[in-house]
Amino acid sequence: MTRILLHDRLDDCLAAWRSSGFRVLAPTRRDDLTRFDEVRSAAEMALDIIMPERTIKDHFFLQTEPMIRYRIKKQEIDTEEMLPPEQKRLFFGVRPCDASGLAIDDQLFGWDYKDAYWFQRRENSVIVTIACTKADDFCMCTSVQLSPDSTKGSDVMLHPLKDGRGWQVVTLTDRGKSLVDGIASILQEGTAETAPTASVPVKFDVDKVASWLADPASFESHLWKEVSQRCIGCGSCTFLCPTCHCFDIQDEGDTYSGIRRKNWDSCSFAMFTMHTSGHNPRNTQSTRWRQRIMHKFNYYRGKFDVNSCSGCGRCTRQCPVDMGITETLQVISNLPR
Amino acid sequence: MSEPFEPKIVAFVCTYCTYAGADLAGTSRIKYAPNVRIVRLPCTGRISPMFILKALQKGADGVLVSGCHPGDCHFAQGNYHARRRWTVFRSLLSFTGIPEERIKFSWVSAAEGAKFAELINDVTEQIRDLGPFEQYQELQKVIETQSSY
Amino acid sequence: MGIQEQYRIEAAELLSSGAVKLVIGYGQGSTPDRRRPVFIRSAEESKQLLLDSYCVANLSGYLVPEGLLSDGKSVGVFLKPDGIRSVNILTAEAQVNPDQVVIFGFDIENGNTKPLSGRKAIDFAPLIESMKSTGLSPELQHEADRLEQMSASERFEYWKAQFAKCIKCYACRQVCPMCYCRRCIVDVNQPQWVNTSSHTLGNFEWNIVRAFHLAGRCVACGGCDRACPVNIPLRLINHRMSKEALDAFDHFAGESADQKPVLATFRQDDPETFIL
Repeated sequence: MTRILLHDRLDDCLAAWRSSGFRVLAPTRRDDLTRFDEVRSAAEMALDIIMPERTIKDHFFLQTEPMIRYRIKKQEIDTEEMLPPEQKRLFFGVRPCDASGLAIDDQLFGWDYKDAYWFQRRENSVIVTIACTKADDFCMCTSVQLSPDSTKGSDVMLHPLKDGRGWQVVTLTDRGKSLVDGIASILQEGTAETAPTASVPVKFDVDKVASWLADPASFESHLWKEVSQRCIGCGSCTFLCPTCHCFDIQDEGDTYSGIRRKNWDSCSFAMFTMHTSGHNPRNTQSTRWRQRIMHKFNYYRGKFDVNSCSGCGRCTRQCPVDMGITETLQVISNLPR
Repeated sequence: MSEPFEPKIVAFVCTYCTYAGADLAGTSRIKYAPNVRIVRLPCTGRISPMFILKALQKGADGVLVSGCHPGDCHFAQGNYHARRRWTVFRSLLSFTGIPEERIKFSWVSAAEGAKFAELINDVTEQIRDLGPFEQYQELQKVIETQSSY
Repeated sequence: MGIQEQYRIEAAELLSSGAVKLVIGYGQGSTPDRRRPVFIRSAEESKQLLLDSYCVANLSGYLVPEGLLSDGKSVGVFLKPDGIRSVNILTAEAQVNPDQVVIFGFDIENGNTKPLSGRKAIDFAPLIESMKSTGLSPELQHEADRLEQMSASERFEYWKAQFAKCIKCYACRQVCPMCYCRRCIVDVNQPQWVNTSSHTLGNFEWNIVRAFHLAGRCVACGGCDRACPVNIPLRLINHRMSKEALDAFDHFAGESADQKPVLATFRQDDPETFIL
């Protein structure tokens, strides 16, 4: 049975969700930035933008997250785990690229042990994705085997209607189904014509890229230096990427007590691989850039059978010097066989 | 009956003037408020704005920075450099909304024991009136909670 | 012949004759209105150089890292007056030898680029001096005034909201020509002065520390502001510091190559309005 959610019933949905214990997060514009944040009304949502500047990853893999509180006593050290609160959250208006990032990272955060911080948040969250009807020059989901209406990582998919009145509702998972059943009275039954999804031209051949990367001779290619000359080694691309997941553990406190935290880290930083001895195996920006591409399209693929990239294009969109993954992959993709 | 608020004040002072002045206050048995924790540096020129930020981060309600009078610096020029640094740093704190009244600067010489005591008493009362530095300390508390709901 | 063509020819000549080993300029970015830094090493490649009103980035930052100038050879670089001031500061702080820097000077006025004549930083001295007399940007001052008119606690709330967005990506630091420290203070953990975590307190500390380290050194190129992926108005804080350096110490950053850094010098009659 297909159902329709009308725009002007969205506030009723919000009220229903909030009263059943969900905090609802949607793309919103606050303090000169678009990002996912709690909203209390549909008017606060910014659903007309291509995508929020910050990703949904921020709410699962926090930019800085307390892990353990410790107290150093005379004979022992007391520790107290600081897990995320058991708070149900509903993410409304997620882009397919952002949702896929969550699914891609699930594999990493669950492969050798289950990261409690990530999964507790995942298990308490419902992802309601809206398919894309527009894209910009930086989008490249179709190049990484995703699409403007990819369902990867989503619990519910909303397809914008052609007449602009609302969305066609498609439930994808059990979690999605129970959410939609909960607002069944607000939805309309029936079908309506959905708007065409955005046209996102394929920009590079990711399989060709992956096989070039997997070739040991490519590691020493002069290509790495050439494409990364202007990279300034900031963390923008990594921090805004829906799939990047590197972190640093820091203890913050004083002599007797403190909190151990997990903070975002970036392979673009010069200090990322700095050893205590002072040796740095990746001491040039080109080696760091090579690592970034290798990790996303070679190592991660080898391990988990999926590109560590959702094709959102934020890396290029936000890069201060117009770097980003797309161009490097295009250069590799266009290499003569 | 609730206890009056006792401000925590950190004083960064130079060895050859203000610290000696504080010492003189002590040997002269002049009483002054116990709220101040004194940190001795060789010279005010050594005092980095980092120290002030660190003191605030660790819960100070007020910070005092004090050294030799211009022209009397034991190291000849340290306090001149410090003065420039403080001018710039104060305007920065003020611009970002951190109240300038909580960070105080003074010149106290080795002979000015009474002045030191009076200074501490005045500063303590002024910070007491301003109350605890809750704005900043709240940022500290937020660190411990789970952000992002 | 337009300035773009003229400079392409000059770049090609300097490269072919070996007078420079590299020209750092602007090239086509990934969208029509984007320009990106390009590194031209041959006369043939100089065709990639573009020069138009989209060329706003300060490229002087590329002169400093990874021993570029340590072989004694010269490097050409496209610079606006703010970038030329940056070269002066880098020279004064012993990071760059100005004789190795060949400048393709230009400015952007009313959407058009115009050439500035001169080859080395010193040739532009009269221009830079005249900039000092016109003072700092009135637009920035107007924006900063809005903040100055708030109460201290309103300002604190404003910056708290702005710094809550910060993710400590350090794009502001990396793009800034003046941030060249081998090990930034935030990367020092013996002792740890500034919390590395990107909670609001740590972000406050980072941004305050960076603004302080730029006091009297910032040339208002806008790089940090444009680079910030979360749109924090860094231009306002850095402008306030520049204003303080100018008002209190008559210091205009990058005025000349032998200008003493503002916090490394002093006058006996420096203002002291706040001493108890």
